[in-house]
Amino acid sequence: MAIDNRQPARHGWRFFVGSNTFLQVLVGIVGLAFWEAASRSFDLDFWISSPTAVATELVRWERSGHLWVDLRVTMTEASLGFIVGCIAGGFTGFVLGWTQRLGDILEPYIVALYSIPKIALAPLFVLWLGIGVTNKVMFAAMLVFFIVFFTTYRGVRSVDRELVQNAWLLGANRWDIWTKIAIPYSAVWMLTGLRIALPDALIGAIVGEFVASDAGVGYRIKEATAFVNTAGVFAGLFVLLLISLCLLSLLKLIENRTLRWQAGDGAIATEPGH
Amino acid sequence: MEQIRSATAAAVICRQLAISFDEVVVKFGDFHAMGPTSLDVRHGEFLAIVGPSGCGKSTLLNLVAGTLVPSSGAVAYKGNGVAGINHDVGYVTQKNYCLPWRTVEGNVRLPLEFRNVPPADAREQVRDALAMVGLLGFEKAYPKQLSGGMQQRVAIARTLAYRPSVYLMDEPFGSLDAQLRTRMHEELLKIWQETGATFVFVTHDLQEAITLADRVVVMSKRPGIPKLVVDIDLPRPRDIIDIQASPAFGAYFKTLWAALDVH
Repeated sequence: MAIDNRQPARHGWRFFVGSNTFLQVLVGIVGLAFWEAASRSFDLDFWISSPTAVATELVRWERSGHLWVDLRVTMTEASLGFIVGCIAGGFTGFVLGWTQRLGDILEPYIVALYSIPKIALAPLFVLWLGIGVTNKVMFAAMLVFFIVFFTTYRGVRSVDRELVQNAWLLGANRWDIWTKIAIPYSAVWMLTGLRIALPDALIGAIVGEFVASDAGVGYRIKEATAFVNTAGVFAGLFVLLLISLCLLSLLKLIENRTLRWQAGDGAIATEPGH
Repeated sequence: MEQIRSATAAAVICRQLAISFDEVVVKFGDFHAMGPTSLDVRHGEFLAIVGPSGCGKSTLLNLVAGTLVPSSGAVAYKGNGVAGINHDVGYVTQKNYCLPWRTVEGNVRLPLEFRNVPPADAREQVRDALAMVGLLGFEKAYPKQLSGGMQQRVAIARTLAYRPSVYLMDEPFGSLDAQLRTRMHEELLKIWQETGATFVFVTHDLQEAITLADRVVVMSKRPGIPKLVVDIDLPRPRDIIDIQASPAFGAYFKTLWAALDVH
C-alpha cells in the first residue's frame, strides 16, 4: 500500500524507539506485565488467571495432543460453514438483487428472519441435525448466509444500469453481463460481506460446540469452565484470537489482489507528449 | 424540410442506405420529445446532427442503437427494422462508461471478449485502437488514474477496437480541451477515410459539424424535427486548419447558424 513519503528515512536507536512497531510491541508487553502483576499482587488468579498460567495451560493442551484435534474440528466446522454460507448467501443475494421484482417481494421475509436472534436457533439445529459436525457447519453457514446475502444483494442492486446497457451495446450476452459487469461491480460489497461473515463462521462453530459437542475449541472452553479452570478458558480464547487473525489476514490478502484497481488514488497520468 | 443540395451529393444518393428514419415520433407519455422525423443516412456517409439542447439529437442515436423504441414510425438499419439492442453499431456516448476495475487495455478489449475474438487478434486490434486515439503507453493504467479526456479516448478506442461499420457518436469530444479536440477531429477523419465506415455524429458545435461532415442536419427546438439539411461540399481529405479558414466554411457557418435560431 501507500508509503508515507513525508517522513524522511532515519536510522539509529532514536528512530527505532519512535517507530510505531516498537511502540505497539511495547504496549503489548506492558499490558501482559500488568496482567501478571495484578494477578499476583491481588491474588486474582481465580478470576483473571495470568499470562504465565495461560501459557502453561497452552503447553499442557498441546502436550495432551488435544489442541490439534480441537483446532481441526473447529476449523473444519467454521470453514465448511463459511463456504456453504457464502455460496448460498452469494447465490440468493445475486438472484434476488438482479431480479428486482423477486427481490422486492422476498426482501421483507429475509429481513424478518434475520431479525431473529440467531443464537436462539442453536438448540433447533441440534434437534434437526444432531450433535455432530453437520449441526455446527449448518449453524455457522446460517450466520454467514445472512451477512453475505445482504451485502451481495445491496451490491448487485447498486450496479449502474447504464453501465449494463452500455455493455449490451458493446455486444455482451447475459453471461458476460453477470461475470464481467455485475459481479466485479459488486465485488467491493461482496468482499466486505465476506470479511464481516468470517468471524461469524467462527462464532457459529463455537456456539454450536457450546450447545452440544465432544470436541473443538469451544468444547474445550466449556469444559475448562466446568472445572473452574480460568487459565484453560483464556487459553481457548487465545487460540480463537489466533485463528481469526490468520483468517482475516488471508482475506485481506485476497481483497488486496482483487481490488487493486482501487489503489493509486489521484495519480493522474500525464498526456503523452505533453 | 428545406434541402441545400450539391451536384456531387446527388451521385451518392442512390447508394444503399445505412440508416433510415421513416416518420419517427418519440413521446414519453404526454411529453412529445421528437418528430415526426424522416431522414436517411447513406453507407459511408459522415452525417452530423446539430440542434439546441433537448431537441432529440441523442434520441435519434438511441433509436438506431435499439435502446429506445419509437412511439410511431419505423427505424431501419441496413435495410432491416431495429428490434432490440443493435450490436452492430459502435456507440460512443457522452459518458465514457469505463469499467474502473479494468485497465485501459482491459476496457478496450471488453467488446472483443464479448465477441469471442481470438486473443492474438484481440491484442492487435486493441493496440491499433489505442494507437489511433494516442493512448499507447497507457495500457496498464486504470481509468481512475486518467484525466476525463483520456477516459473518453479509452471509450472511443473501445468502439474502434471492434471495427463497427456504423458509428454513432454523441458529443464524444465534449469533455476535451480545444487542442485535443482538433487532434481528435484529425484522427476521426483519418479513421473515417481508412475504414469507409458510416458516421452519425451528434454535436452542438457547428464548427465541429462542418469540419467533419458530408452533411449537416439542423434540428428544430423540441419536439425536434429536421429543419435544414446542408451538404458540406468541402474538399476531401480535409486539412482542418485550412478548411476552417476558407470562405466556404464561413458561408456554411452562417447558413447553419441562422437555421439554429438560438435567440
